[in-house]
Amino acid sequence: MGSVGLEEYLIVGAVLFVCGIVCMATKRNAIGVLMGVELVLNGANINFVAFSRYTPLGLDGQATALFVVVLAAAEAAVALAIALNYYNNHLTIDVDRGNELQG
Amino acid sequence: MDPQSTGELLRNLLTVAWLLPLAGFVAEIYWLRWSHRLSKTAAYCAVACIGLGFICSASALITWGVATRGAAFSDAHGGHESGHHAEQHHEEHEPQLGAAEGEKVAAADPHNHDNDKKHDHKNDEHKDAHAATEHAGMPKAFSGTFYRLAKFGALNVSLDWYIDSLTLVMFTMVTFIATCIHLFAIGYMKDELTEEYEDHEVHTSHGHFTRPGRFHRFFSYLSLFCFSMLGLVLAGNIFQVFIFWELVGVSSYLLIGFYIERKSASTAANKAFIMNRVGDFGFLIGLMILWTWCGTFQFADVDHDPGLFTMIRGNDGKIDVSEDGKQVYLRDAHGHRLESNGKPSTIGYLLLIAAGCGIFAGCIGKSAQFPLQTWLPDAMEGPTPVSALVHSATMVAAGVYLAARFYPVFTPEVLLVIAYVGCITLFVAATIALVVTDIKRVLAYSTISQLGYMMLAIGVAGWGAGLFHLVTHAFFKSLMFLCSGSVIAGCHHVQEMPRMGGLRRKMPITAYTMLIGVVAISGLAIPVLNIGLSGFYSKDEIVASAMAYSNANRVHFLLFLTPLVTAGITAFYMFRLWFLTFYGEPRDQHVYDHCHESPRIMTTPLIALSILAASCAWGWGTSGTGNEGPLFKLIAFSETVPSTEAVTLNGLTIPSHQGHHSDVHAVHGKAGLLALIAAFTGAIFAYLMYGSRVINPAEIRRQLPGVYDFLLDKWRFDVLYDAMFVRPVHIVSAWCADFDKKVLDAILHASASVTVLVARWDRLFDETMVDGIVNMVGSVTRSIGYSLRVVQTGRLRQYVMWIAVGVVVLFGVLFTSLPK
Amino acid sequence: MTEQLLFWVFAILSCGGALAVVVTQNVVRMAFWLVVSLGAVAALFFLLHADFLGAAQLLIYVGGTVVLLVFGVMLTASGHTIKVQTTPAETLLGCGVGLLLLCVLVFGIKSVEWAKEIPGVGDSAAAADQAEDAKLASDVASAKTDESRQAAINARDAAVARRQSGRTLRQLGLSFFGLRPDRNLNQEQGKPLAPGYLLPFEIISIHLLVVLVGAAYLARAKCRATSGLEADL
Repeated sequence: MGSVGLEEYLIVGAVLFVCGIVCMATKRNAIGVLMGVELVLNGANINFVAFSRYTPLGLDGQATALFVVVLAAAEAAVALAIALNYYNNHLTIDVDRGNELQG
Repeated sequence: MDPQSTGELLRNLLTVAWLLPLAGFVAEIYWLRWSHRLSKTAAYCAVACIGLGFICSASALITWGVATRGAAFSDAHGGHESGHHAEQHHEEHEPQLGAAEGEKVAAADPHNHDNDKKHDHKNDEHKDAHAATEHAGMPKAFSGTFYRLAKFGALNVSLDWYIDSLTLVMFTMVTFIATCIHLFAIGYMKDELTEEYEDHEVHTSHGHFTRPGRFHRFFSYLSLFCFSMLGLVLAGNIFQVFIFWELVGVSSYLLIGFYIERKSASTAANKAFIMNRVGDFGFLIGLMILWTWCGTFQFADVDHDPGLFTMIRGNDGKIDVSEDGKQVYLRDAHGHRLESNGKPSTIGYLLLIAAGCGIFAGCIGKSAQFPLQTWLPDAMEGPTPVSALVHSATMVAAGVYLAARFYPVFTPEVLLVIAYVGCITLFVAATIALVVTDIKRVLAYSTISQLGYMMLAIGVAGWGAGLFHLVTHAFFKSLMFLCSGSVIAGCHHVQEMPRMGGLRRKMPITAYTMLIGVVAISGLAIPVLNIGLSGFYSKDEIVASAMAYSNANRVHFLLFLTPLVTAGITAFYMFRLWFLTFYGEPRDQHVYDHCHESPRIMTTPLIALSILAASCAWGWGTSGTGNEGPLFKLIAFSETVPSTEAVTLNGLTIPSHQGHHSDVHAVHGKAGLLALIAAFTGAIFAYLMYGSRVINPAEIRRQLPGVYDFLLDKWRFDVLYDAMFVRPVHIVSAWCADFDKKVLDAILHASASVTVLVARWDRLFDETMVDGIVNMVGSVTRSIGYSLRVVQTGRLRQYVMWIAVGVVVLFGVLFTSLPK
Repeated sequence: MTEQLLFWVFAILSCGGALAVVVTQNVVRMAFWLVVSLGAVAALFFLLHADFLGAAQLLIYVGGTVVLLVFGVMLTASGHTIKVQTTPAETLLGCGVGLLLLCVLVFGIKSVEWAKEIPGVGDSAAAADQAEDAKLASDVASAKTDESRQAAINARDAAVARRQSGRTLRQLGLSFFGLRPDRNLNQEQGKPLAPGYLLPFEIISIHLLVVLVGAAYLARAKCRATSGLEADL
């Protein structure tokens, strides 16, 4: 176990990101998909903050991460509203049922 | 009354008389809109229009007489040279007067002042000078413009009026005769007052043809004709004359073809119209020549621009020919030569002859002169009142009227042509009339013959004589036509004279009015006293003119001999007609038994016309009868070319006419005597052959079979024309048709099939190439779209998966392809 | 050492939580594991000297978003829909693709030589700080002229300011007002001032407002079309 540096943080962010992607790809539940999105955003946030700490970026990374957090909260609210509407229309939360955009 | 207001009054009166029949025509052609077919009111309307027209015309005539203080009736011509002189005298002041009179009323009278002065010295008789000077300032002719239709450069096309005593006489004569004939036609056409008129001469598969009656239409046509005829007489330029010339032609066409369902009637109408077109072709050529070289159509001077008469005749009545005889100088009202661009305006002498012959060709067509005379007998297919009005008294006389009106433009050569044409016509027609048995056709040939007399008279410079005969002939010929109409109506449409005979006992009024006409046309008179009916005087005058002419030009003695002989022939065939119809025993008892006198509405016009036919040439209290009577003097008053002395041009001598010392006057007694002898001979022969039956006409017929057949075939003119014109046209047409079918059609068909072939190729190209490319593009796009739509599953998770895969693949691609 | 130990603990916690979210089928449990994962991430933020951000992460995510999600689960869950199984093939495929992506990312991270690309990376933060302090002090002492002395003093002040990086609340607050103490304090004279985040901050504010209004509109109470129909039946 060497000293903790930038790479370790980046790998943790990558793992979170991939987990979020897999979550979005495999969960049929719309709420699950939303959770995947949260994971992806957090993975990205870890990267921002890590770069803020280990590079001359300074506060920029933290400020951007703060914005991302705020946007994620907003996105969650809207997505949840969409999910509720979806549920209202389809009487299910299964995203596979919503294939109206099929070509 | 001053000249200007007189002119305006005359113009207004005549315009009213002219336009009333037009109003009548418009009203009558739509008669069925406000009345019914059985109503006679259309006829009353027409009679009212033309009757009012007659009143206006007669008022105008009286106005003229009052304005000239009777000079026109008594002093204008003849033995009173001073009267003539006095009249000339005032015209010396004419330019100033013309200027004073303004633009509407312009004097148009070219006269030779020097000439007058000579006469002034020659003649010591001044007794009438005072009376004549009192009407000083009254020009011979009034003229002006109603309305200008168009102006092309210097040429005015306008509606003009030209009023002189001839116009007035023609107006009065036409309206009077037309009124009589309208009245007569009310009786004659009453058969048409029915919803179902049965035409016995038209056969259909189910018996006779029936149609609704056309009473009102007949009268509307008559009104149209009257309007056209009066317009023709009133016209102030040659182009306007041409317009109304064609209008009377159309009316004539409509009236001849009134029984249009009869094949013979429609053919006759076409024949009349086409024959007239031949003449009108010449008329148009004449018009174009005059337009090109003189640049005006006007008869009289307008606003000091010289009219045709002044241009050709100047102010002295002579044609101003250049020394080499090839050019004619155009002159103005003062006798000065006209100039344009510094050079004197001229017209070629030959061109002037051509123009005159062209105009005269129109007259030939309209007046049925040789060689276009064949249409008039056929025109008798029209109802008899039409024959009386259109084809004897007025329209056919329009040709003579125009020839007389245009007299100043005619060169002596043209006059000679006119004379010979008239001469041939009068002889040919009279001989045919000898053998014709249809009562109306006899009269038709007689009309042609008499028109020939008039033409002859104009050709031999007997200007007044020709027009005098025109008027007298109009009266007695319309009278005779109406009588024949009365006979035909009485005999239920039998027209063949051999089936008549003895009708004077059944229809005395018709018979004796007819006799007056017959005597008038034959020119019989009481010898020594020289009292006869109108025709006697007028024919006398013509024969005298012809004699004077042939005396002056010995080569042309036939111009005297033929009318003299024909005078006898005329008397013969006219008395033959009367004897065959009214005298002796009935030859067809059936016709005789059903025959009856006509009703009063038909006989009254007969009596009125017979009075005028007998007496129109008499003196009526003035100094003389015949050529010294008022009618002749009134006509001669308007003579535009003075003929007080003989004139010789290009070897042709025009004898003098006016005055006691003129050439005509010198031979008048002799000529009259010869004519009277000829007439009596003819009449006596007729009595012997058809009255007392002393000579059997059948034997003569047997002795001269060739001549008889020749005459019966109308000198074989129809055969000749058929061979000369109709058959060649047929042959050429057949050739043209063949050419059309075999050559033109072949070319057309070939081009059409080539076009079809090309079009087919084009279509193939279109369908395979153009459409193929477009369709290919479309189908390829569509198939790509179909194959790509599979990717769009609409499933969210799949999309996420694809994004991830895409990133991985992109990374792989970048990593492998990009250099380190 | 403590810092390293803590890092590994929280790194494993966050990654494990995330994996558990993927693996778990029950939505409520997924929410729980999400809380674990996000909390660990907040701890990592603390380790990265981003105190305010870590606190905000805890407050907003663990206290807000996840609760929101749980509310969503409650509102939509009805027996059979609470568990919607994915087919094993899909799971396998997702895992395969995920592993590939992870490999790509890790390969990318490892292939970059951070020390070369960005100066100062690679040393541990504390060692770097001490070395920097010594160097700056000697710079100030050895400065001959007034100018160089002033520059050395400025550099030392900047390092001190950076040393306070764990306590970033004030700095963030100032930067949202358009001031950048971390940048402008050790900036050479005459250079333009670095801008703050006033405008993005305002934009975000408006954005949040709009999003909240839109979410309220979308989620407003409507009669359920199909269920209302069922009720009628």
